[in-house]
Amino acid sequence: MDLTYTPEQQVFRAEVRAWMAANVPKTPLKTLEGQEGFEQHVAWERTLAEGNWGMVTWPEAYGGRGLDLIRWLIFEEEYWRAGAPLRANQNGIFLLGPTIMEYGTDEQKARFLTPMASGEKMWAQAWSEPNAGSDMAAIRSRAVRDGDHYVISGQKTWSSRAAFADWCFGLFRTEEGSKRHKGLSFILLPLDTPGVTIRPIRQLHGETGFAEIFFDEVRVPVENRIAGEGEGWNVAMATAGFERGLMLRSPARFQAMAARLVDLYRAHAATASTQAHEAVLQAWMDAEAYALNTYSVAATVMAGGHIGAEASLNKIFWSEMDRAAHRAAMSLLGASAELAQLPDGGPNIWQEGYIFSLSGPIYAGSNEIQRNIIAERLLGLPR
Amino acid sequence: MDFRLTEEQQELRNAVRDYLAGEHGPEVLRRRDAQREPDDAVWSGLVGMGLAGLLVPEAQGGLGLGLIEAALVAVELGRANVSEPIADTALIAAPLLSPAEQEKVAAGTLKIALAHPINPWIADLGTADLLYTSGGTTVPPVAKALTGIDPLRSLFAPVFSTEDDNLLNRAALISAAQMLGGAEAMLAISTEYAKTREQFGQAIGSFQAIKHHLATVAVKVEFARPVVLRAAYAAEHGHARTAVAISHAKVAATDAAMLAAETAIQVHGAMGYTYEVDLHFWMKRAWALAGAWGDRAFHLRRIEAAVIGRGMTIGPDTVFASELNNA
Repeated sequence: MDLTYTPEQQVFRAEVRAWMAANVPKTPLKTLEGQEGFEQHVAWERTLAEGNWGMVTWPEAYGGRGLDLIRWLIFEEEYWRAGAPLRANQNGIFLLGPTIMEYGTDEQKARFLTPMASGEKMWAQAWSEPNAGSDMAAIRSRAVRDGDHYVISGQKTWSSRAAFADWCFGLFRTEEGSKRHKGLSFILLPLDTPGVTIRPIRQLHGETGFAEIFFDEVRVPVENRIAGEGEGWNVAMATAGFERGLMLRSPARFQAMAARLVDLYRAHAATASTQAHEAVLQAWMDAEAYALNTYSVAATVMAGGHIGAEASLNKIFWSEMDRAAHRAAMSLLGASAELAQLPDGGPNIWQEGYIFSLSGPIYAGSNEIQRNIIAERLLGLPR
Repeated sequence: MDFRLTEEQQELRNAVRDYLAGEHGPEVLRRRDAQREPDDAVWSGLVGMGLAGLLVPEAQGGLGLGLIEAALVAVELGRANVSEPIADTALIAAPLLSPAEQEKVAAGTLKIALAHPINPWIADLGTADLLYTSGGTTVPPVAKALTGIDPLRSLFAPVFSTEDDNLLNRAALISAAQMLGGAEAMLAISTEYAKTREQFGQAIGSFQAIKHHLATVAVKVEFARPVVLRAAYAAEHGHARTAVAISHAKVAATDAAMLAAETAIQVHGAMGYTYEVDLHFWMKRAWALAGAWGDRAFHLRRIEAAVIGRGMTIGPDTVFASELNNA
């Protein structure tokens, strides 16, 4: 065990810190769940890419820097320490990107990865269907082969950012009459293709980050399929693993949140309840524990180890930590918690964060599903 | 940066785990419980493994290893629920003793009990050769024996008065590691029980309610482990934030162990409430260690003093920092 940073890692940290200090927007962006905020975030994605920080772990050939996971963690620490915005292209860079890296052809990598890292093409996911959330295999949308095209018909829902994004990726039934996870293919398509209709869904906070996508005989070239026809389920499972695991939920984001929560506590210590007091300490401890666990996993992966169902432990931990910390913040704010603008004039980021944190235990596979995975695959309990 | 165990560390852990799995099964706990006295054969076995001299310098006949190895061994002692005073003697006290005393510890001829104001009771004083306090070792005083929750841990009411944070920190770390091992053991015991115990014609482990209980414990345990290891690393390398790291480890391991114990009882049903199954030994050790060497409230106050009081930073470049900015 060597829990020190090398001189090279320290130099890298200083480089990131300097760049972030010079480039991170001074005023917070509007929420990326709304059109205006999303566009602000896209502009930030492009600024990042100009500094060549779009996706630091990717190969240089695809707009990355080829960094290892420890340097990725350091990058993230400096990113969140500087108060940089959420990544609006997270569906692309954290989910689809790694999927293409693992299953895509060289041509697909060249075609999709660079514009993804640069923020030129923003991505939405099109997985869930009406009446099929946690039961992800209950897919009815079909893609019928017609020469060198698929003709897609059906409907997707809960598609994050579909109202604003350029492209989407999803699972479609390419084998007529196939059941469940068989006969599915993983297909990418531009959202401005004729036959695509998008209907925004208003979320709890009033923004329209969600959408339904309707496909009416949408023609998509066969070369937009990732991996073989009918192999979509395995590809999607890998994508889901990325979603639960390391890359989407970097520890530094929660550490930055815990640090802000401690500040909030200091400002409200006189009126804080004992529960809120303890919850603040718990959030601090949990954020640290999450970071330590991630370093441990990163070291294992870098040494050639593989993470599988362990990602489910991760997903439960960060989502429940996030919700508890935001609940504590709402409690500390007391009557001000309901205000959209806090008395000091700033936006009530805790309220927005609290509402968002409620979705954590649902998306990326509900925590109930994760607990089943842990019990069956890690503990070996019978199905 | 490499948050992995070295091959030597893994080998040590595996050797201790295998040895204890073979030689220190529940039958030892039951025998010990019936006798209510230390078991010379178990002690000789632990000494024979070299565990008594783990932290004793090689010049004094020990292995000369450090706190990370001590924490790893403590996890295994917790997993096997070892009751001989090996953790107190070899993992907590040994480096604080004189060379002559260390030599005897490594040889297995000296057992140490520990006294600190944080603990109202002293464990295993009755069989100790020496009592360690912050002033060094003394002859064990005559003390009144008390009955505790853990039948394999004897308690005594002592008289003393000095503070010793070094002793407290070492002991809190080692007890955290023991509780982590205990939590892992209780999860394993409960999982095994859920696979074999049938109700309504099927193994209860196939029911989602049982699965979710056990998965929740698995999450708690998984995220306590790196916290305990980081604390051992910080202590080993003399980091300024060691005390907070150890308090965090004690809280995280205590929470994991308490949840593992409560869940284990629930999963075992009424069987968990009996002496028929071995679970109770681990559960009672968890309860005993949860209150020893600073309870949850004590360690939370130490964390609060650093985090809220002194503004200890979190995250960027402080996860493994050797210095605390505002200490």
